[in-house]
Amino acid sequence: MTPTGAPDPALQVEGLSVSYRKGAGFVRVVDDVSFAVARGEVFGLVGESGCGKSTVALQILGYRSPLMRTDAGRVVFGGADVLALPRAALDRVRGAGIAFVPQNPTTALNPGIRVGAQIDEILAAHTEAAPAARMERVRALFDLVGLPATDAAAAKYPHQMSGGQQQRVCIAMALACDPAFVVLDEPTTGLDVTTQRQIVDLLGDLRARLGMSMLYVTHDLGLLSQIADRVGVMYAGRMVEVAPVADIFTAPAHPYTRGLIGSLPRLDPDTAAPAARPLRGLLRRQDLPEGCPFAPRCEHAEPACARDRQPLEPTGTPGRSVACRRWREIAPEIPSSEVIDPAHGAGRSGQLLVLEGVRIAYGTGRRRFEAVRAIDLAIAEGETLALVGESGSGKSTIARAIAGLVAPEAGRITLAGAPLAGDVADRTTDQRRRIQYVFQNPDASLNPRARILEAIARPAAFFFGRRPDASAVARALDDVRLDPGYAARFPDELSGGERQRVAIARALAAEPALLMCDEVLSALDVSVQASVLELLRRLRAERGIAMLFISHDLAVVRMLADRVMVLFRGEVVETGPREAVFAPPFHPYSRSLIEAVPVPLRRRAGGAAGPDRLRPDVAEAPRGPGCAYAGRCAVEIAGLCVGTPPPLRTAGPGHAIRCHHMLDDLSGARAHPPAGNTAQ
Amino acid sequence: MPPSSNADRRVGLLPRLALFWRQAPLGMQIGIVILAVHLVVAATGPFWAPYGYSQMRAGMPLSGASWAHPFGTDQLGRDIFSRVVHGGHIVLALALSGTLLGLAAGAVIGLWSGYVGGWIDEVVQRLIEALISIPFLVLALMAIATAGPQWSGNPVLIVLVVALVYAPRIARMARASAVEIATRDHVTVARLRGEGAFSVMRRELLPNATGVLLVEFALRAGYAPVLVGSLGFLGFGLRPPTPEWGLIISENRALLIVSPATVIGPGLALASLVVGLNLFTEGLARILGRTVRLGAQ
Repeated sequence: MTPTGAPDPALQVEGLSVSYRKGAGFVRVVDDVSFAVARGEVFGLVGESGCGKSTVALQILGYRSPLMRTDAGRVVFGGADVLALPRAALDRVRGAGIAFVPQNPTTALNPGIRVGAQIDEILAAHTEAAPAARMERVRALFDLVGLPATDAAAAKYPHQMSGGQQQRVCIAMALACDPAFVVLDEPTTGLDVTTQRQIVDLLGDLRARLGMSMLYVTHDLGLLSQIADRVGVMYAGRMVEVAPVADIFTAPAHPYTRGLIGSLPRLDPDTAAPAARPLRGLLRRQDLPEGCPFAPRCEHAEPACARDRQPLEPTGTPGRSVACRRWREIAPEIPSSEVIDPAHGAGRSGQLLVLEGVRIAYGTGRRRFEAVRAIDLAIAEGETLALVGESGSGKSTIARAIAGLVAPEAGRITLAGAPLAGDVADRTTDQRRRIQYVFQNPDASLNPRARILEAIARPAAFFFGRRPDASAVARALDDVRLDPGYAARFPDELSGGERQRVAIARALAAEPALLMCDEVLSALDVSVQASVLELLRRLRAERGIAMLFISHDLAVVRMLADRVMVLFRGEVVETGPREAVFAPPFHPYSRSLIEAVPVPLRRRAGGAAGPDRLRPDVAEAPRGPGCAYAGRCAVEIAGLCVGTPPPLRTAGPGHAIRCHHMLDDLSGARAHPPAGNTAQ
Repeated sequence: MPPSSNADRRVGLLPRLALFWRQAPLGMQIGIVILAVHLVVAATGPFWAPYGYSQMRAGMPLSGASWAHPFGTDQLGRDIFSRVVHGGHIVLALALSGTLLGLAAGAVIGLWSGYVGGWIDEVVQRLIEALISIPFLVLALMAIATAGPQWSGNPVLIVLVVALVYAPRIARMARASAVEIATRDHVTVARLRGEGAFSVMRRELLPNATGVLLVEFALRAGYAPVLVGSLGFLGFGLRPPTPEWGLIISENRALLIVSPATVIGPGLALASLVVGLNLFTEGLARILGRTVRLGAQ
C-alpha cells in the first residue's frame, strides 16, 4: 500500500471540477475532486450512479465534448496536464500512456472488424512496428489476457466471443502499448459472477506482472475490496472519503461510506465487519446544500453541515482523508441485528404453481436450441423460490414460459390446479391477473410517455373495471413508499429505484398471487437495491404473495428466498431450502457460484484458475447425454460425466443435488476457501 | 443526472419558445421565418391583395413585372401577384390536410401491421410496396382517372390523392418504429395483461412513435405543395380560375418568353414554401433525433 503523498505519483488529479450543459446553463457534476495514484497502485473510485465517477474517469483521458465544460483543475500525468494538452499531443498520450477499458465490451468493440485487427489499429497508431511484428504482439497480448494466442482467435469477430472474452479483448487493447496508467470504467458490470471473478483475477494478475497503475471505477464496493489498494468514495460530485481498502470496510469514517457498506447485501451475515445502517433516502440534485452534499440524508447532520463546505482533510492515519466535520464525534454504530427470516409463509397451503417436465426450445431444425430441459418446479402459496444461474442457464426462459411469452415444447404448467395455456392470449383474464411480471430494467418496462398515474391505474381499470382513481393510485404509491405527488410525473423524472418501485406498484395493482421478479435489482445502485429488497420482503410478509425471484446475485437470494434452485444450461443441478443450498454439500457449480461472489476483505489468491474451469469452446459446443456441467467442472470424473446422466441425490429434506459424486465428496467445506486452495 | 427536471415544466411558454429558438440550428431558424411569412400571407392575403384573384384588366395584359404588378399580368390582364397571394391558403390547406390524412391512415396501418406481425404484416407490407413502386405522379393520375370525371376539380379529391400517395410511405416508417417499440418491456407488460392490439397501439406504441411520425409528417408536408402544384400544372387539379400556384404556372407557361415574371413569380412562391418547409423539417428531425445524453450511462 502506498500512502497518498507518494513523492512521484503516476497520476494526479487536482481540484477537478466539471459541468454538464443542461438547458440554457451548466450543472456542476464533479466538484473539486483531488486524488493521486501511486505507481503500481490500484485506486478504486466508488459511488452510486450519477455521483460523477465516470466523468472523472473520462477527464483523466482528456475527454472533451461540447456538452461538458471543465471548470477547473488539472490532471497531471507524465509531468504534463492532460486537460491542457493540444489535440495532437493528447492523441499520443491516449492509448499509449493512459489506456481505457470501457464498461460494455459489446458496444465498445467494432462488430465489423476482426478483434485482432482492432488491437492492431492501436499498435499501428502508436508504434513504428512492421505488420508482422505487430501481429506477433497481438498474439502475445492474447496470451497475456488468457485468450488462445492463435491467428484463429485473432481472426474472430466480436459476436463470435462471449462477453468475458470480449472484455479480455478490450483489456488486451488497453494494454497493447504498455500504458503506465489504465482507467477501467465498470469493466465487469455486465458480466456473470463467474466471469466477473475471472476478469478481476486477470486484472490482479496483470497488475502483479506488469506493475501498472489503475483507476478502477465501479459501484460495487465488495468488488473493489478484491482488487483495489485504496478507495475514493464519491458522493454528488465530491470526494467524501479516501482510505486504504481495509480501513474502508473495518472503520469507515464518512457517514455516507458507512451507509454504503451497510447497504451491501452480504453472503455471510455473521461476518465480523461492523454492520452499519443502510442508506436512507435518495440523492436529489436539485436540493443540494451549500455545504456537505450528504447532509440531507445524514442522520448525524447539524445545521452547520449543510452550511459549511467540508474539504477532504487528512485524518492522521496514513493515506486516509475524509470530508466530514463531525467524523471524530460520530460514534461507531450499533451493529444492526440481521433479520434474515421474517416469519412469513405461516399457514402456507397448497401448491400455487407447478411445472412438470417442462421443455422449452427456440428455433427449429439445425438451429434448434434447447434452453430448458425437463424442469420440474413447484411454488407453494406465499413461498419465494429463487432461480439462480449465469446468463444462458434458462432462468429467464422459465419465467417467460410461466408468463406465457414462450410456449413450452413439452410438459405442463398449472396454476392453482388449472392448466395454463402456452400462449398468454389463450389464458383467462383471471389467470393473467394472478401472475404478474416485474422486469429487470424499469426504464424499458415503464412507458416513457405515460404518467405514473396512468401506469398504475391501468391494471385496476383493466382487470377490475375500476375508473382511474387518484386516491387508489396514491395508496398504491404509498405501499411502495413513494410520494403520492409522483402520480403526475413521467418515468424520466424518477430515479431508477423509484421507477422500479412504480413497476412493482403496477404489478401489485393487479392483486397477483404470484409475482415474478426477473433480476429486478440488478439495474439498481446498492443503496437502492437494499431498499427495494426491503420493500419486497415487507410486501411478501404483508400480503402473502408467492414470488419467483430470478437473480444471479447470491447475496440477494440469500436474503429473500425460501427455496433456491440452481440452474445450469437449462437443467436443475441443485435444489433445496435456502440454508441447505448455501451450506455443504454443494453441487460443484453451486460452489463455484458461491465462491465467485466477492466477499469484502477476503481477497483471493492471484491465480486465474478458479474451481470453475471456464472453457468457452466447451461451453458452446452441443453437449452429450451426460452432466450439463461436464467440461467446466473442476472435479469432473473422466469418461463418466460426459457420457452418463448424473443421478439425483437427496441430501436432506427437499434438498437434492444432481451429480455423480457421492454427497460426502461434495461436502468438503470449501465455501470460502483459504487463499492457497484456489491457486491449485 | 436527473434528466428533464420539473424546472423545465414550470417555466412559461414564451421563455421556452425563446430557448427553443436559441437552440435551433440556423437553417431551422431561416425555415421558420420563411414559413411564418407564408402563413401570414396565406391567412391575411385575401384582405390586402391589390386586386381580386379573377379580376380581369387589372393592368395591361402581358405588361411584365413592374411596381404595380410585381409578377406581371397574364393574357387576361389579371394581376399574377394578387393571384399568388390569394392562392397561398389554398395550396397550404390542400397540402397540409392531404398530408395529415395520409399521416393518420399511414400511422394506423403501419403501427397495426408492425405490432400484429405474422402473415398480416407480410400481406400489408407487400401491398404497401406495390403502391410505393408506382411513381407518385402516375399513382395520383391513376387515382384521379379511377374517380371519374364527376370528381374532377374537386378539392376533396386532391386531398384524398395526396393522402393516398403519402399513406403507404408513412405506413412503412410507422411500421418500422412499431416493430422496434413492440420489443420493449412496457409493451410486453401490456400484452401479458391481455390488452387488445388497438389498446396497445394507442397507449404504448403511438405515444412513443410521435417523434418519428412528426418528422415524417413534416417531411411529406414539405413536398406536398409540389404534388398539388404538379397536379394543377397537368390540369388534374383544381379548375380555373382558382388561383392555385401550379395552375397559374400551367396557364402562363406559354408566356415564359413574353412575360417570364408570370411564371417565375408563382414558381418562386412554391419554391420558397418547399425550401422553408424542408429547412424546418430538417431542423425538427435533428432535434427529435438528438438522443445522445452525455454523462448518462
